[in-house]
Amino acid sequence: MTLPCLPFAWLLLLLLVIPLPAPADEATVVVSRLQEALLQSMKEGEKLGFEGRYRLLEPVVEEAFDFPAIARLVLGRFWRKLDPQQREAFLDAFRELSVATYAHRFDTWNGERFETAEEKMLKKDRRLIKTYLVKANGERVELDYLVHRRGENWKILNVIADGVSDLSLKRAEYTSIIKDKGFPQLLDKLHENIERYRHEGR
Amino acid sequence: MGNIRTCGVWLTALLALGLLSGCATTNTEGDPLEPLNRTFYNINDTLDKGLIKPVAEVYGKYTPKPVRTGITNFFDNLGLINTVANDILQGKMGQALSDSARFVFNSTLGIGGLFDVATGMGLEHHKEDLGQTFGVWGFGEGAYLNLPLRGPNSVRDAPDLVTSAYLNPIFYLNSVVTIPLAVLDGINTRANLLEATNVVQEAALDPYIFTREAYRQRRIYDIYDGEPPLEEINGEPDEEEEGVLSIE
Repeated sequence: MTLPCLPFAWLLLLLLVIPLPAPADEATVVVSRLQEALLQSMKEGEKLGFEGRYRLLEPVVEEAFDFPAIARLVLGRFWRKLDPQQREAFLDAFRELSVATYAHRFDTWNGERFETAEEKMLKKDRRLIKTYLVKANGERVELDYLVHRRGENWKILNVIADGVSDLSLKRAEYTSIIKDKGFPQLLDKLHENIERYRHEGR
Repeated sequence: MGNIRTCGVWLTALLALGLLSGCATTNTEGDPLEPLNRTFYNINDTLDKGLIKPVAEVYGKYTPKPVRTGITNFFDNLGLINTVANDILQGKMGQALSDSARFVFNSTLGIGGLFDVATGMGLEHHKEDLGQTFGVWGFGEGAYLNLPLRGPNSVRDAPDLVTSAYLNPIFYLNSVVTIPLAVLDGINTRANLLEATNVVQEAALDPYIFTREAYRQRRIYDIYDGEPPLEEINGEPDEEEEGVLSIE
């Protein structure tokens, strides 16, 4: 199934990308740029160590994701209740945790590769970029990126892995923690996770 | 297998309870049984960390890859009867045919299901269950349930535990065979999930909620056969409008 599909997928991708105006093709580029960096982080994972991977990924992740928009979506109605300092503290911790998570997880390479399958046009300056993480044994993880136009650029809003949306997971967790334990506790937990990744990081 | 029957009674009671308390909350945040669910989650988690996970890790370490694949194939194949039944209930007749063919080829050429010869013949692997069927028929999830030993589930999905047991040939064997097979299935399944549960333990701020949301979304994905409408994935559209479109 996998092999005959591959040339077809590329053809499909070309057909989708070529006739679109330049900004549309940027939407796919933002995802492939991120995935290239992740692949590099995996391949050079051991040599770089956690801090090296963090430094490699930080600018790419910052550029690829629309963190201010994601932060608002993740906190939902609680965002409005935070004062500017709290918002900034959350954004900083959230950004750092996102980079640390990628640096922690993409640390070794066992023949994985990324494949872009198609770009779907959605309403109002939004696209869904469908990709696969293909493992050496042929196992595929479906990774869909929801991107939107932010001024001149395209930015990622959400990553959906085999149907599980990162944004919704985090929204459920974060809002429940704020509701039950308060915002400072949420911030503490984010920092705790960052520290854990740092300590475990090789 | 009298305990399955008792289990059925319990499930019915739980369902009734879930329907009574869960009706009002149709949105995704509804978890009316959260305190009870969390209790079971903690019990399951303790049991898992103390016994099931270590056993699964040893099993995973010492069982050669081809043997594990064979065991996974064997149980997947037996589960196909339930899939075919639900293919039919969902009106997917083509898929019912291809899954039946899959079962026949893997049971015979694949030596009792140990080898998956059907995928190579172009017969794709599907998994359907009664919860998905109810979803296709338009039923909502109902209350979320975290069941003892079983973990994430829901009012809509729980009846499948009973029907899938009745549609599995293992259920009709002598309990001397059934019980060890069920244990093997459990350990093998747990071993296959090690990577995923490690991610949960690492990434989750609240593992209970992480597991619940991941389960819900995965079920929507399964109900729509991997093509769920985007609104189902991205959550409340009104919040989205306000959150994203207003920032310029």
